[in-house]
Amino acid sequence: MKMNEETNKTSEVGSILLDVGAALMSSGASTHRTRLTLERLASGLGFRIELLITQRALMVTVIDSDQEHFFSSLKRTSPHKINFKMVSGISRMSWHVFDGEWTQEQIAAELRRLKKLPHYPQWLVLTTVGVAGAAFCHIFGGGLIDIAVAFTATFAGLFVRHWSTLKKFNPYVCVFFAALTASLIAGFAEFFNLGNHPDAAFSTSVLFLVPGVPLINSVTDMMDGNIQNGIVRMVNGLIIAFAIAMGVFTVRILFSF
Amino acid sequence: MEIVELILKSLAAGTAAIGFGILFNVPQRTLFPIGLLGAIGGLIKFGTMYFDGGIVFASFLSAIIIGLVSIRMAYSKDSPPLVFYIPSVIPLIPGFFIYKMMLGIIALTSVSNTDVYLQNLISTVNNGSKAIFILISLGIGVAVPMLITRRETIKKK
Repeated sequence: MKMNEETNKTSEVGSILLDVGAALMSSGASTHRTRLTLERLASGLGFRIELLITQRALMVTVIDSDQEHFFSSLKRTSPHKINFKMVSGISRMSWHVFDGEWTQEQIAAELRRLKKLPHYPQWLVLTTVGVAGAAFCHIFGGGLIDIAVAFTATFAGLFVRHWSTLKKFNPYVCVFFAALTASLIAGFAEFFNLGNHPDAAFSTSVLFLVPGVPLINSVTDMMDGNIQNGIVRMVNGLIIAFAIAMGVFTVRILFSF
Repeated sequence: MEIVELILKSLAAGTAAIGFGILFNVPQRTLFPIGLLGAIGGLIKFGTMYFDGGIVFASFLSAIIIGLVSIRMAYSKDSPPLVFYIPSVIPLIPGFFIYKMMLGIIALTSVSNTDVYLQNLISTVNNGSKAIFILISLGIGVAVPMLITRRETIKKK
């Protein structure tokens, strides 16, 4: 009877750890951070773990302290959607667990709470990212009209990206649509000779799509020795950059006639 | 007058950092520090370029400072450093050079005149190598402080 309970506990810990790890990976944490956090959680609960972390799947083996019970399992992580509230919340939680204050039920409850936490409202995201696009345009030397164009283009582009993601298009196709929309608006401004530096508006209107998180995480992963994950992230970032280029390229062809 | 422009550009970088913070759904308590960090990064980058430091070195320097300050901020705001440094580094990404490189490559697909082609090749390779080196220096720059302190985590055990 006792044997069964212990086995159950080991497998429960295993599946909670997989949930936490999958949430971290899809929220944009680096491989090293995911590994560190899971090891911290496991040692707080009194278990030892072995991990295999890839971009889209996690594998964990949980070994309990008297080396009698094992649990191995594999979990596919959900598609990547950056959410730093999740990364920050899990990191805070892991310290409570490490200090031995929390049980596994509390971890599961906290994870459910973090998953339910609201995102910023869409109008706020669209507006602030639009302002960010306008700020980029100012940095690259655009005038007032160019800044307004960059704001509009970024706003519309991000809206299209959200919309096409909801319609479940392929993620790279979503980026292509967004780049197409943004550069189409900036291209119209250039076509009608609005603003004194239309070049700046055109090139900054697609900057909000730049795959910053995949590229930076890729370098971080490679420096930590997780070369495989680093290469996967790099290729992912390059495909996104290529999708942006295709969007811009299409608009350039349209306006060259 | 140039000082005013420098400060304006840095503020713009800070604003952009906040925008990306909201896009990446950061906790609310970290929004202001992210804006500050973005502005510091911009100030160091544009300041170094003002003193003819070159854009690659300027980006590397400001990425290192952003990495350092993000560790301090991680202590006080109880969030991992990447929450601070990723939104702040994104305004430093050389979008303009990447764009110029792309246009150049597209133009290279059609040969018209050897002289024009050569000119285009030179500027494309120049823009492209700048873009790639800036990207690498940003990625390594933010990692440098963690590598030097050789700490696994920002908390003391």
